[in-house]
Amino acid sequence: MTRATATLLLLAALLLAITLLPPREPEGPLIRTRLLMGTVVEIRIEDTESARYDAAVTAAFAEMAAIERRMSPHLPQSEISRIAAATGTVGLSADTAEVLQLAHDVAEASNGAFDATLGQLIRLWGFAEGEPRLPTEEEIAAALAGDGASRLMIADGRVAKVVAPLAIDLGGIAKGYAIDRAVSVLAAAGVRHASVNAGGDMRLLGDRSGRPWRVGIRHPRKSGDILATLQLAGKAVVTSGDYERVFELDGVRYHHILDPRTGYPARGCQAVTVVADRAALADAVATAVFVLGPGKGLALLESMPDLEGVIVAADGNVSVTPGLRGVLEWP
Amino acid sequence: MAVNGFWRRLTRLDRIIVMLLFALCILLFIAVGMRPPGRSVRVTAEGATLFTAPLERDRTAELTGPLGTTRMEIRDGKVRIVSSPCPYKVCIGMGDISHAGEIIACVPNRLLVQILGDEAEGKGPGYDLLSR
Repeated sequence: MTRATATLLLLAALLLAITLLPPREPEGPLIRTRLLMGTVVEIRIEDTESARYDAAVTAAFAEMAAIERRMSPHLPQSEISRIAAATGTVGLSADTAEVLQLAHDVAEASNGAFDATLGQLIRLWGFAEGEPRLPTEEEIAAALAGDGASRLMIADGRVAKVVAPLAIDLGGIAKGYAIDRAVSVLAAAGVRHASVNAGGDMRLLGDRSGRPWRVGIRHPRKSGDILATLQLAGKAVVTSGDYERVFELDGVRYHHILDPRTGYPARGCQAVTVVADRAALADAVATAVFVLGPGKGLALLESMPDLEGVIVAADGNVSVTPGLRGVLEWP
Repeated sequence: MAVNGFWRRLTRLDRIIVMLLFALCILLFIAVGMRPPGRSVRVTAEGATLFTAPLERDRTAELTGPLGTTRMEIRDGKVRIVSSPCPYKVCIGMGDISHAGEIIACVPNRLLVQILGDEAEGKGPGYDLLSR
């Protein structure tokens, strides 16, 4: 073999080695997922060099976990459990005080359709425990007798119950609040394009690096299909649907969004999607609109500033607030 | 030219070998480039990866969470939970997953099973996030 042949063979071998090397992964978004607040939470960073925000994502998850520890009714040391057990006043962290105040405001604006004091009723139905059952009318009446937003007094970071058995459940608002706090942590770390998605409730930070985020809304009756797609930036999107936690008994479907006025599942809507600046507000208002039904629900959305929404009524009719018409795409 | 000089000094057999090798390089380059990215499964607990495997080979894996051992099966490119120590077995009820982005979560045993791969442009569902 000549020297020239050897050189060429070496070159060919080198080329072969380069060809077989695994391709370098192109730098994409940073996506991390955790189980928090009883659901799958995904944080997605779309900034360039997204990997440098790994520590910020860890901090955002830690913030959400801290809020869960304070506000879960299932953890015996949480502030919510302490309020349930208390007979006198209870001191609150700034977070819990803020969420209870917002819950109180939405309860007032919705004439009690959103109610964070349904702890006893929610426990009775057993949806959160994964073992739902149909309570008796007497049980429901007894639970409702002790509930009601007006029976909770909040002042100067302390809370007092007017009736002793009152129990708080922040299921319709705490997840949204945790999403907001996670977004604040990311923004403070310099992230400009991100999404925090907790089991389908989400808030967007900025746009998706030069284009709006495309948020699909699940069709309430065709699992796997999309009702519509929203093109948004920097907004929160929360959907309340009657398909999430359901059981059927004697041909009747019972779902987990309870009407505080009757104690039974609200029947006016199939699903409600609310778009707002903050996920906590969107979360609470989505529940309130669902309970109010399409007519009064739409009126509530239109009466509050910077709130938009899509309502699917029980008969399948869809209504949309005027502000969403330019950003909504039908399939 | 140097290359011409180089080429003239090779024997006929040398030239054939060199050309075959270059042809092989080009073919391999095309084949590797065209191969779709393989799908795989990743299991995480509290953000830490416990297990990853491609979906091409059937196998079972035992995953440990705070409640005990959850058994996961990969068969015919699909992943499912076959046994779990959690009280309501919601994770088993979630059935098979096989497409990128699909998830099985066992909240009580703190395990998250995700399918990764084939997320290339154009294959997505037409939205970035799903509100439900």
